[in-house]
Amino acid sequence: MSNEAADPPVDAEPRRRTRWRGVVGLTLSRWWRRATRTTKGRIASTVAAVALTIALLVVVTGIALALADGGMATADDADVRITPEESGTLSSVDGVEGPRLGSTNERAAAIRSRDGVEHASPVVVETARLESTDGNPRTVRLIGLVPDGESRTVAGLPTTALEPGDPHYANGSYDGPRTRELVLSPTAAERLDATAGDELSVSMAGAERAGGTTPSVTVTAVADEGTSGGGAPIALIHLSELQSLSGAETGELADRLLLWGEADAARSAATDAYPAGAVAVAGDIDPSTLFEDGLAFATSVIALLVGVTVCASFVATTMGMTVDEDRRTLAVLESVGFPTRSRLAVVAVSTGITTVVGSIIGLGLGMAGIVAVNAVAGATVAPGTVAHFHPVFVPYAIGVALVAGLVAVPYPLAVAARTSVLEEVAR
Amino acid sequence: MSKQSVRGSRSSARDRADERESVTAVRLEGVTHEYGSTGGRFRSGDERTVTALRGVSLDVPTGSIVGLEGPSGSGKSTVLHAVAGLLVPTAGRVELRGTDIAALSDAERTRLRRRHVGIVFQRFHLLPSLSARANVALPLVQAGVPRAARRDRATTLLEAVGLGDRTTHLPSELSGGERQRVAIARALSTDPDVIVADEPTGELDTATGREVLELLTDVGRERAVLVASHDEATLAVADRVVTLCDGRVDDVQ
Repeated sequence: MSNEAADPPVDAEPRRRTRWRGVVGLTLSRWWRRATRTTKGRIASTVAAVALTIALLVVVTGIALALADGGMATADDADVRITPEESGTLSSVDGVEGPRLGSTNERAAAIRSRDGVEHASPVVVETARLESTDGNPRTVRLIGLVPDGESRTVAGLPTTALEPGDPHYANGSYDGPRTRELVLSPTAAERLDATAGDELSVSMAGAERAGGTTPSVTVTAVADEGTSGGGAPIALIHLSELQSLSGAETGELADRLLLWGEADAARSAATDAYPAGAVAVAGDIDPSTLFEDGLAFATSVIALLVGVTVCASFVATTMGMTVDEDRRTLAVLESVGFPTRSRLAVVAVSTGITTVVGSIIGLGLGMAGIVAVNAVAGATVAPGTVAHFHPVFVPYAIGVALVAGLVAVPYPLAVAARTSVLEEVAR
Repeated sequence: MSKQSVRGSRSSARDRADERESVTAVRLEGVTHEYGSTGGRFRSGDERTVTALRGVSLDVPTGSIVGLEGPSGSGKSTVLHAVAGLLVPTAGRVELRGTDIAALSDAERTRLRRRHVGIVFQRFHLLPSLSARANVALPLVQAGVPRAARRDRATTLLEAVGLGDRTTHLPSELSGGERQRVAIARALSTDPDVIVADEPTGELDTATGREVLELLTDVGRERAVLVASHDEATLAVADRVVTLCDGRVDDVQ
């Protein structure tokens, strides 16, 4: 008899697996019955708390992603975008100019000749100070591009007001005639107190080196209030003229290259032209952009921390209360021969199921929330998308909920471990 | 519900039945237990303790039913809990088929209880979110019995206690007598050597209590049954009745 207390070593491993499968299966079926029949209110409130927290996390992260992915300076209707591969940069200081694409004017011309590509334009973004004759200098983001006369949008502004082509480029000599045209966003126009036909002087870091004189441009149009770039102080200008002003003509540098046309053909042309560049097709959202935008990254990190904290607090409290009400069940399990680790496994698996189910419902709510936020924003303040959903949110939200569950689980486990079988069965 | 069918549910253990004959399944020797005395290092020395058992000795042979009677607080439940390994007495020896329970670790006691002891509580203590069949199969989960075998065994036992048509019902959908029969089936699921029953008819009406007693009597033919009760009808089914008073054995009939 002295050996009877020990399980026989034969078939110990298969038996152990069967036992753990049994414990998990028992917990699952018990959880389901509790959620649908016996303790609907308690389970529903815990699941709802997790779901709402995860939904909030998804919506805020979606807004942060849109913030990182968009911004008015990158809001365009291009079908394919080429940007430099960020891993190529050695700078770790935020705000330092990042890598740029080279030979952009020449390669854009080559891309334009490909079948299926309607138009290709390098885009340079520079900060400049514009000054009207009777006003104060104002800082404006200048967006340099090559318009083609078709109705296109770059940086949220329509390009049609600029003269098609880029005459100053002159096959790379940068000595063609300057159009000196500028299209202002409503905000830039307001700050400069400028209207169509006004002349503005441009000053920027490279201007003195370029010529020693302060060049001037003429406002050809002010974009309508309804354009998506209306809220930012930006302006469109011909590419080569901005390159000349900033010194980017050496090497024909640009921040990105935009392609319009059939997505597959444009992607193929982009990859051929810049094999080492990052090629993104419209509609594809890259979540890694979150790490490149300080504000968006901070927003998503705060959402993550708040999500984990609130979720873990809710789960710990409600599951702790559930376990407290459930002490008799734990006592019964002990009385029928469930050792401590199996009883704690029942509690831990129950907590895990609750958080996973809550996170899945929260994902659904979050997706609906993103649609709602976009609808509300579109109808009121910000035409266009202000929050994105990305498939990576699915594992992210479930992972966050599981982390919250892991943070929360010690409390219900502690309540469970304190249960006295004699006190409970004697009641 | 038929006695024959309950005994038939032990067919897997038939070959062990002969071995069990005339073996003392449970032996208590000079068992003393004080509640409040096992609390550990942080308790002060003058803390009040309650002595529940004082030198209790008794034997329960296999194939017999031993009744425990006595007023509330006399120590009946404490004896049952000591036999089930739910508590370790302060002094004395509790043997379950020759093994001293006090010498085992918590995990070993839990394992011993799972394999050799079935417990029937006054208030049934079924898990409210599990069906009757799942409740009966509960001890088999930890025993590592595969799912199909668990279901078969639980269904067989429920049929044996007359609840073959209630296997998927939740405890809340069963009457008191049916719940206690489910609890008895659960106590039998691992085919234990010893059944301890604490006021098994305490929550039942007379007719239902009689049915449950018939079941317990049937169970007791091949096992050692220790039943604590105030009820004369319940004690009448016992082969021997031990009377406890203030934690001492007062009388044996």
